[in-house]
Formats: sequence, C-alpha cells, structure tokens
Amino acid sequence: MQLALPANSRPLLLKFQSLIALFVLCLGISLLSDKFLTGANFWNVLRQISVNVCISTGMTLVVLTAGIDLSVGSVLALAGAIAAGLLRNGIALTGPDLFIGFTVLGAVVAGLGTGTALGWFNGWVITRFRLPPFVATLAMLTIARGLTMLWTGGFPITGLGDSFDYLGTGWLLGIPVPVWVSGLIVALAVLVTNKTRLGRYIYAIGGSESAARLSGVNINRVKTTVYALAGALAAVGGLLVTARLDSAQPNAGSSYELDSIAAVVIGGTSLAGGRGSILGTVQGAVIIGVLNNGLVLLNVSPFWQQVVKGFVILLAVIIDKSNAKND
Amino acid sequence: MKKTLQYVVLAAVLVLVAFKSVYFEKLSTHKAATGPDAAGKFDAASYAQRFWTEKLLPATAQAPDLSALLTELKANPQAAFAQSHALGIGNIRYFLVRGAGTVAKVDKNDVTVRLADGNDVQLATEYVFGNAARDASGLIRNQDFDNTADLNALAEQLNGLIRARVVPGLRADARPGSAVQFAGALELNQAHLHLDKLEVMPLAVTFSPTVKP
Repeated sequence: MQLALPANSRPLLLKFQSLIALFVLCLGISLLSDKFLTGANFWNVLRQISVNVCISTGMTLVVLTAGIDLSVGSVLALAGAIAAGLLRNGIALTGPDLFIGFTVLGAVVAGLGTGTALGWFNGWVITRFRLPPFVATLAMLTIARGLTMLWTGGFPITGLGDSFDYLGTGWLLGIPVPVWVSGLIVALAVLVTNKTRLGRYIYAIGGSESAARLSGVNINRVKTTVYALAGALAAVGGLLVTARLDSAQPNAGSSYELDSIAAVVIGGTSLAGGRGSILGTVQGAVIIGVLNNGLVLLNVSPFWQQVVKGFVILLAVIIDKSNAKND
Repeated sequence: MKKTLQYVVLAAVLVLVAFKSVYFEKLSTHKAATGPDAAGKFDAASYAQRFWTEKLLPATAQAPDLSALLTELKANPQAAFAQSHALGIGNIRYFLVRGAGTVAKVDKNDVTVRLADGNDVQLATEYVFGNAARDASGLIRNQDFDNTADLNALAEQLNGLIRARVVPGLRADARPGSAVQFAGALELNQAHLHLDKLEVMPLAVTFSPTVKP
C-alpha cells in the first residue's frame, strides 16, 4: 500500500517540518513521562533553552554568510568569567593603593565587551588573512578557553550576589528573566535580518559572495560585524549561565557550539549560507532543548543522549540536503 | 550637525554607563572591609574547628557499623542509602561509619583494615580530598551558608583537620596485625555501586592490643 499525498502538501510539509518534528517529539515524550507536561518543567525547559537561543541566533547570522563559529562555547566561558571575576574581585592596583570595583552593570558591560571583541577578532582574522572560518574560530576556541583558565586559575568564581544572579534565576511578570532576554534578542535579530540593509547584505553574501561584492557590498565589514555580533550573543549566553549557577565555571560552554550549530541546522538554515531564518533556529533550539529534557526525564544514559543527538543532527542535515536538491 | 548630535548623545551614554559601572576606593580600606579578618566574613577555619569538636566527632558515636552497612548495601541498597547524606544532587552519597578490625597492610597512600567479617577497607592517609567529611554526618545544611565558596572552604578546612589531627597518628601507629577502631566518612555512588574497594576518610582512629567485636 502506498500513501499518496496531495500534490500541494509537500511545500507545506517542508515549510513546517521543524514544527511537525517538535510536535511529534513533545507528543512522544509526554506519552512516556508524566513529568514532561507540567508547568515547572515547561519553565525549566524554556530557561535552559534561552542560553542556546542566544548563541544560536548569533550562529545563524554567521552561517547565513556561509561561515561557521566554533568558538562560541569558549567565548561564553570567558565572558562569564570576566564578568564574575570583576564583580567579585574588582581590580586591585597595589602601586597607587587603588581598588577599582565593578557594579553589576559594569560586570555585564565588561562581559559583553569581551565577547564582542573576541568575535570581532574572529571576523578580522577571517577577512584580513582570508582564513577559512572553521580554522580561525577553532583557534579562537582554544585561545578563549586558555584565557578562561588563566583568568580563573582553573577554579570556579562564586558568590556573585543576588542582583547579578537575578539575570539567570529571576522572574519578571511571571516569566523567567533569561526568557525575556532571549526573546528580546530574537526580536531584534528578526528585525535586523528582515528589515535592515545589514540583513539583506548577510543573505546576499551567503547566496553569492562574488555577486554581493560586485554589487558594492563591503564584504569584510559585514562579515566582521556578523562575527562580532556572534561573540556578543555568546557573551550574553555566558552571563545568563553564570548568573543562573551563581558561578563562573572555567569549563562552561563546552560543546555548546555543537548544540548551537545543531539548532541552526535543524531550524532549516543551510550550512552553505544564504538560506534560513532566525525563527527557524529558535524552533531548532526548542527541539534540541526538548530532546535533552525528554532524554533526562526518560532516564536515558548521558552517553546514549549524545548518540541520539548526533543522529538527530545527521538526519537534519540529510533532510536539508535533500530539500536543497529538490529546490 | 545631525552627526555631531549623534556623537554627543553617544558620548553622554558612554560616560553615564562608565559612571554607573565602576567605583574607586583605597585598596587598603577595601582590604580592611572585605579581607579574611573583616567583621561578618565567613571564617571557615573557626567554623570547621567548632563543627569538628562539637558536632562531627560526637555524631560518630551514633554512626552505623561498617560491616552491618556493607551487608545491608548488598541485600537492600535502597534502604541502606537512606542512611546516607549529601549536600548536592546526584548519585554521590556519603555515609558516616564506624568499624573495627585488624591492620592488614600499610601503604604510602592508605592503611588497609580487615574487618571482622573479612571485608577490607582502606583508611586514606595521602589523598584526603572531597566533601565526605563535610557531608557524611548530614549536620551541615546548604541554607546555613551564603554561597558555595563558603561550603567548599569548609570542606577543605575539615580535610585539613583530618590531615593534621588524624593522619599523623594513623601513619605512626599502624602496624600489620594491630587492632584498630575507627570512625570515618565513606563516599559511594548510588548508581554505580562498587563495594570491592572502599576508601574511608578517617575522622577518629584508636589502636588497641586486641580487636573488639
């Protein structure tokens, strides 16, 4: 027996494939675990997803230009550690007998500045020396992780205070603060990609870099801006993680780059660039988050969780390839 | 003109952010207010001393016998783990235990004691780390501490007391064949329970000419 779908149903299925996958996933987990569809778990999942949404939004911008950023996990760790270190210890200058203390605002600004600077450096290296993004950001992955270890001495920085922790653990109008932060970032990113010149340039570069160059787009400036934004958004993720744990962990963010790439790919953004959307990535991040949560609730071994996630990413890329061929 | 105005506004915002971001004070004043001797600061060393003397050592008198605990762990692990404690979530749990036996072997890193029922247990003498001494009694509560750094400092101070007060005597007096009574903290993984090599952080050790049953 063969299932016959109406001719016009295929584009519809393709358009909503992420949402359909999410619905099937939620249905399956809710049938297997009575803890999944509860209010507490709902907010827990959203809070966990928030960090990946921030990072993945930046990653989407990078991937849309046909690039990749493998350093986001390490940048996240360094930004969080810089913010925590300055907030907790400030800067002590023994010579002039001066102590420079940092407020929560100062720590946040320093963390964001760190992420932006590292991202900008990625973009500068990639455009100035024509390095493949894979190689340049792989180097930054190691550099930023090493700097994090140097800054923290390999130990967590804890005791950051209630005001800072509010960023990761607080509630505003009945919704967790990290959800507000990630929601705001998504809204701004949708605005930038759909309604601004920068957004059009990002898609143009990913579609055809040479055509964009011939059209007068300043490729280097756009790419550098995109990588700086990715760094800044990784830093936001770092601040949220640090605030949530009340602790900057030197090994924070390990393998986050893979989760964010997975969210981007599952959300339908082409790794070849030029095709995809921020909202698709949000769907991808939700799928990854729900999958993580479901596997934990179903008491699946962490080792098997990695295997399952790997296959889901593989499946998403295969579907993406197949769609691209059919298009 | 419009561009100039933009720059002026941007500069004003930057100055305001900078003004609200940092503050300055004399380093000597700051150290006096926040250093280890500042009033109100958690003093892990003093807390550990008091906890050791007033709570932890008295609690060992009520600790379960290690041989009986091992029997129960083999027969009914779930019931046995009801006697364990831990401050963190997860499968790592700690037991406060006491036991008696004969010194079977003295190594660089530990002293092996053969219990009356034939089980071997190692009393650590070299690698005294972790949270066992802090968590095993269940008398330390998360909510009594402002932050995890203080909890970590307490664990380190208690381990320091073990190194300073228990280990030297244990190393000096342990001879193969001598009878020993001990109290200590035992760490076990609830999900991956291995009872073939047990290591106890020693809290109190006494040697006697004969093994008491």
